[in-house]
Amino acid sequence: MPPTGIEPSRMNRKKGDKGFESPRPYKLTHQVVCINNINFQRKSVVGFVELTIFPTVANLNRIKLNSKQCRIYRVRINDLEAAFIYNDPTLEVCHSESKQRNLNYFSNAYAAAVSAVDPDAGNGELCIKVPSELWKHVDELKVLKIHINFSLDQPKGGLHFVVPSVEGSMAERGAHVFSCGYQNSTRFWFPCVDSYSELCTWKLEFTVDAAMVAVSNGDLVETVYTHDMRKKTFHYMLTIPTAASNISLAIGPFEVLVDPYMHEVTHFCLPQLLPLLKHTTSYLHEVFEFYEEILTCRYPYSCFKTVFIDEAYVEVAAYASMSIFSTNLLHSAMIIDETPLTRRCLAQALAQQFFGCFISRMSWSDEWVLKGISGYIYGLWMKKTFGVNEYRHWIKEELDKIVAYELKTGGVLLHPIFGGGKEKDNPASHLHFSIKHPHTLSWEYYTMFQCKAHLVMRLIENRISMEFMLQVFNKLLSLASTASSQKFQSHMWSQMLVSTYGFLKSISNVSGKDIQPLIKQWVDQSGVVKFYGSFAFNRKRNVLELEIKQDYTSPGTQKYVGPLKVTVQELDGSFNHTLQIEENSLKHDIPCHSKSRRNKKKKIPLMNGEEVDMDLSAMDADSPLLWIRIDPDMSVLRKVEFEQADFMWQYELRYERDVVAQQESILALEKFPTPASRLALTDILEQEQCFYRVRMSACFCLAKIANSMVSTWTGPPAMKSLFTRMFCCKTCPNIVRTNNFMSFQSYFLQKTMPVAMALLRDVHNLCPKEVLTFILDLIKYNDNRKNKFSDNYYRAEMIDALANSVTPAVSVNNEVRTLDNLNPDVRLILEEITRFLNMEKLLPSYRHTITVSCLRAIRVLQKNGHVPSDSSLFKSYAEYGHFVDIRIAALEAVVDYTKVDRSYEELQWLLNMIQTDPVPYVRHKILNMLTKNPPFTKTMESPLCNEALVDQLWKLMNSGTAHDWRLRCGAVDLYFTLFGLSRPSCLPLPELGLVLNLKEKKAVLNPTIIPEAGASNQESLSNPGCHAQLAGFQNPFSSSQDEEEVDMDTVHDSQAFISHHLNMLERPSTPGLSKYRPSSSRSSLMPQHSLGCDIIPATKPQWSMELSRKGTGKEQPLEMSVHSMVAAPLSVFAKESTSSRHSEHHHHHHHEHKKKKKKHKHKHKHKHKHDSKDKDKEPFAFSSPASGRSVRSPSLSD
Amino acid sequence: MADTAAGPGGSGTRSGSKQSTNPADNYHLARRRTLQVVVSSLLTEAGFESAEKASVETLTEMLQSYISEIGRSAKSYCEHTARTQPTLSDIVVTLVEMGFNVDTLPAYAKRSQRMVITAPPVTNQPVTPKALTAGQNRPHPPHIPSHFPEFPDPHTYIKTPTYREPVSDYQVLREKAASQRRDVERALTRFMAKTGETQSLFKDDVSTFPLIAARPFTIPYLTALLPSELEIQQMEETDSSEQDEQTDTENLALHISTEDSGAEKENASVLQQNSLSGSRNGEESVIDNPYLRPVKKPKIRRKKSLS
Repeated sequence: MPPTGIEPSRMNRKKGDKGFESPRPYKLTHQVVCINNINFQRKSVVGFVELTIFPTVANLNRIKLNSKQCRIYRVRINDLEAAFIYNDPTLEVCHSESKQRNLNYFSNAYAAAVSAVDPDAGNGELCIKVPSELWKHVDELKVLKIHINFSLDQPKGGLHFVVPSVEGSMAERGAHVFSCGYQNSTRFWFPCVDSYSELCTWKLEFTVDAAMVAVSNGDLVETVYTHDMRKKTFHYMLTIPTAASNISLAIGPFEVLVDPYMHEVTHFCLPQLLPLLKHTTSYLHEVFEFYEEILTCRYPYSCFKTVFIDEAYVEVAAYASMSIFSTNLLHSAMIIDETPLTRRCLAQALAQQFFGCFISRMSWSDEWVLKGISGYIYGLWMKKTFGVNEYRHWIKEELDKIVAYELKTGGVLLHPIFGGGKEKDNPASHLHFSIKHPHTLSWEYYTMFQCKAHLVMRLIENRISMEFMLQVFNKLLSLASTASSQKFQSHMWSQMLVSTYGFLKSISNVSGKDIQPLIKQWVDQSGVVKFYGSFAFNRKRNVLELEIKQDYTSPGTQKYVGPLKVTVQELDGSFNHTLQIEENSLKHDIPCHSKSRRNKKKKIPLMNGEEVDMDLSAMDADSPLLWIRIDPDMSVLRKVEFEQADFMWQYELRYERDVVAQQESILALEKFPTPASRLALTDILEQEQCFYRVRMSACFCLAKIANSMVSTWTGPPAMKSLFTRMFCCKTCPNIVRTNNFMSFQSYFLQKTMPVAMALLRDVHNLCPKEVLTFILDLIKYNDNRKNKFSDNYYRAEMIDALANSVTPAVSVNNEVRTLDNLNPDVRLILEEITRFLNMEKLLPSYRHTITVSCLRAIRVLQKNGHVPSDSSLFKSYAEYGHFVDIRIAALEAVVDYTKVDRSYEELQWLLNMIQTDPVPYVRHKILNMLTKNPPFTKTMESPLCNEALVDQLWKLMNSGTAHDWRLRCGAVDLYFTLFGLSRPSCLPLPELGLVLNLKEKKAVLNPTIIPEAGASNQESLSNPGCHAQLAGFQNPFSSSQDEEEVDMDTVHDSQAFISHHLNMLERPSTPGLSKYRPSSSRSSLMPQHSLGCDIIPATKPQWSMELSRKGTGKEQPLEMSVHSMVAAPLSVFAKESTSSRHSEHHHHHHHEHKKKKKKHKHKHKHKHKHDSKDKDKEPFAFSSPASGRSVRSPSLSD
Repeated sequence: MADTAAGPGGSGTRSGSKQSTNPADNYHLARRRTLQVVVSSLLTEAGFESAEKASVETLTEMLQSYISEIGRSAKSYCEHTARTQPTLSDIVVTLVEMGFNVDTLPAYAKRSQRMVITAPPVTNQPVTPKALTAGQNRPHPPHIPSHFPEFPDPHTYIKTPTYREPVSDYQVLREKAASQRRDVERALTRFMAKTGETQSLFKDDVSTFPLIAARPFTIPYLTALLPSELEIQQMEETDSSEQDEQTDTENLALHISTEDSGAEKENASVLQQNSLSGSRNGEESVIDNPYLRPVKKPKIRRKKSLS
């Protein structure tokens, strides 16, 4: 492949083909993690890490590592005490006094904060100073060993403790702990270089109670008792270079199951669940075989472990040589519905072992390759395991999802390119968050990102064939496995990192094909294609005139140019045509092969070679066209709206063998409520050979059609006779046969049909009495005694059916809902729900599916005014201690209640739960549900929208969720949904005077920007143009910093700094003229002002140090003020790091004083070494973990 | 025995007992009066001129008891030898058994001063009223000897079955099964609701649709995931026995480690052996998995153990 095609992707790569260039001035080779004490009671962890690094530059004097939450007691480098500071700007993104409450401002500040500690930019929260004694050593680029003692106390993220409050020892109680998090979150539980691109070998040691098992990455070398025999130490070795982000841990009283098929695979589950584990994992070896076969590569690690834990963060989390699953995936042989879902999770986890764990990524913008490949091979497994129909159906589903999401939000970009950090290039200005870092991404966006990634991989496969595709994967894997066995010194480890460039190069080498246009379209660019198609048949020319229009102006769309496949089914057969979609050609003439000849009785050949008899009476006598499909292979990420006659859709449904086409025609037929449609759908429903999912969706379509045809409908309610024929006794048609779910297809149909039937409505828009009685009878006669499988899902769906049958209550004068005026039908429904819900307490069903359905049904009854609307029942079910599915269902009802009843109290209750609930998944889910079903939106007036709420949510995303990226992004999403990007409308106008100072400060810093700033002031808040301007003056600013010899990190800080100020300017009420206010007003230094400076120390100690140094000479009032904010924690460091400067010291004290007066919250700032001069000689006697918070360690756990 | 028979005697007026209308009572009264006469004459014979009523009564009682005992005992002896009629020898044996010297009896009977007492008046043996008979008693079947008791009255064994044809109709059966189950479930849940805390959907009415209050579990996933005991049984039947054996050996190591959490040092060697044998079992099934290997004993390091 010619190198020219690669240019765009090279843009963010400094050294194109050699690949990886570390952002750090050192290289990590080996890390030891030793956790010697885990206290379940106190939820604390004590341990140390030891990193072996090789400096790559001579003057390395600071080492930045990632660490969050950890309390660091002591750092030694080559056994010499080293000074360190711990500084995490993400703890509090915007400092508190700000009355700024606009999301634009927050998102920028957040992105800047994340950048400031981003390991991929060489940053970190923990900055360690190399002791001067070692400088010579470093200059010779000799090895350094960094030993860090740390502890964790009640971690809020990263490590999750599950400690049930029952009697007994921790092991008896089933207490366990496991690592979790979103993307690279390992820094939450031990100091490391938390990047996917910094690989090293590992030695992991965990000392746990003798009754517990510690499962971690790599090979378990040995297990040794401690001297008192009460504890055991698990020693793990991971010799394959692995990123810290792929390190994980699970400790608990696990039951151990060695896979009977593969002895190097071990499964772990919580006590009592062993039988379920056996059944659930009995399938895993087949997945192994499949992947190893298609990749022609052995599983890269020497062992594999699956751990099933409670209160999982995500259902599946893949780490090097182990995966952590939710225990709720376990199931017995009697459960039908969960089985395929769990198997899919297992297969997903395993796919990520190859791509994601073993092969890691170079940078965040290469993430799509990993997610794409693992998703793609997982898709291949789906195809093999569940069949082509299931696979195509899944692809269609995923395609629909991504299309809907992109059209809604404006696009998902797989390979974001950030040219020099300029805001102008921000490829995601339509979003309310930055896509520059995984940690700023909305969870939904990330899910969709993964979805798009694997779909694009499939597009590449379409282009270069599967064979080449697998060859590419094999090549990547063999390169990586060669590299993994090499010593560090060979510098081969970066071969284990995949990059977009390397991947594309590999593709072009293997296939010799140019896929650059495809990459440009789908990877380097966001958006999907929206086609509108219609056609006319020209009888004279025997030509099909196809018109294909595109919408590429709406958000989330893009223009498609290139080939497009169209399949035309004619009387003589099915023909594929490839059209070239070009700039201005809308019309395409497609010659037809057959003349219309309906008289000849001949079988009609289909695409798959099958020949069928068709009743052609419905079709247009003049046209030979049966149906037309646009892009049948889904080789474009698109949405197609195609117009063709109803009979064509009906033919397509009946005779097209592709499930996607069937699905599409079912969707289209909703618009044609005719007896012919009814017949076609009924036929499909009855057809045993037809894919069950198609039949299921036919049910719902039939219900919709029946409702549209309600006045002309004849015969019994739709599907009733069909159901009777299929599932009821021959002799007594009103009684359903005893359950026999041996045929899964009919099981799914049997479950679905009543649910769809319940959607039927009569002329009064009520559910027909006949249908309700029918469903009630199904429940009554349900008999599962002779069934091999559990019927819990079936019963749950029957309750769903009951809920579907509920229609709004006829209310007279808003009477209060009481038992007396209860509709008799509703009374019957309620009777069933009560009984089911109560029986669940005595005989609980698997995953409490029935309780979940009952809760939903109750909410439906409440919403429709049959039962008084009340949230207390749901609140009790939402409590911690219920099964998570129940909780989510109950919370969903509370969220809905909050919206419908506009209840402030419930909203507060939910918000409180977001902050306090012990289960991270539940907290995430509440935010997610609130976002999906918000109590109000930005365009809506609501009594709930008030200042207190704004403050509360702001606090939540600003500082309350610092321990969980996913949660914080969820809070941002909610904030966006409620208030939008700009300042929430319910806030009072800000005071004006404060802004002046800011501007003046700006003027001092860089006078040239003032006019621009003024201009930007005029712009509307959400206008992306602001960013452009921001970028405009950022460069001079940072260059001026460069003159002051600030290192490269300053870029981020200045960015944060400027974006902060810019957002200040963006305030709508800020008058432009105020900028000339005299600088003397600065003396009052209003909170906002100092706030502006706050970001600086938070992100960039060095720079502020420079400033403080300069400030003494320059006598700039403003600089002084900056100094005042900054110097306090840092001058100490400065003093230590260079020589002592007494004048600085004075300043320092002075400002410290000042700072206190202003009540600034530098919570996380380091005060340690304040007087270290005096104490330097003193050994670190106070660093014992037992002594509580060390003076020198930051108290981050507050 | 002479001294028994020749008790102190004395005549005295017999107090008349209450007149009874009952024939059976009359019969007994007559006999008793005779006994009293006997006692009185014996007293007279022994030289008493008068006797208190109470002493006469007591002596009468004693005599009656004595005679009754002779009769009872004689009956026993006679039945012992499979007879129904007592013979003289039975009486003799009885008397001997009671410590009476039989040889003195003829002399005593022939003593001179004995008084002759008239026989008691003949009163009719009381008639036990006939039990109600219903129908004809069944004659013995030929294999039952005729001396066996007769059959009881027919009403004690004759039964009149009043059953209907068994329901074999599928519809009715299903209907019945369904409604039975529903009734049981409803009754059970209502009972549970009545006896425990409830929640209600209607504020004004807590009894019509009582919902058993939601109670959080300490370990919620167990109830949610584990099948009921019945279901487990079914599953175990399908499980192959091989698998079970395998897990037994697999779990051995784990169990050991669980048990010894509180174990003292002196147990360590035993444990070591146990876990070694566990691993040997593992080797037999050729499973080499690091999690099945025995836990090693710590290396002895003086410094550490001291601290």
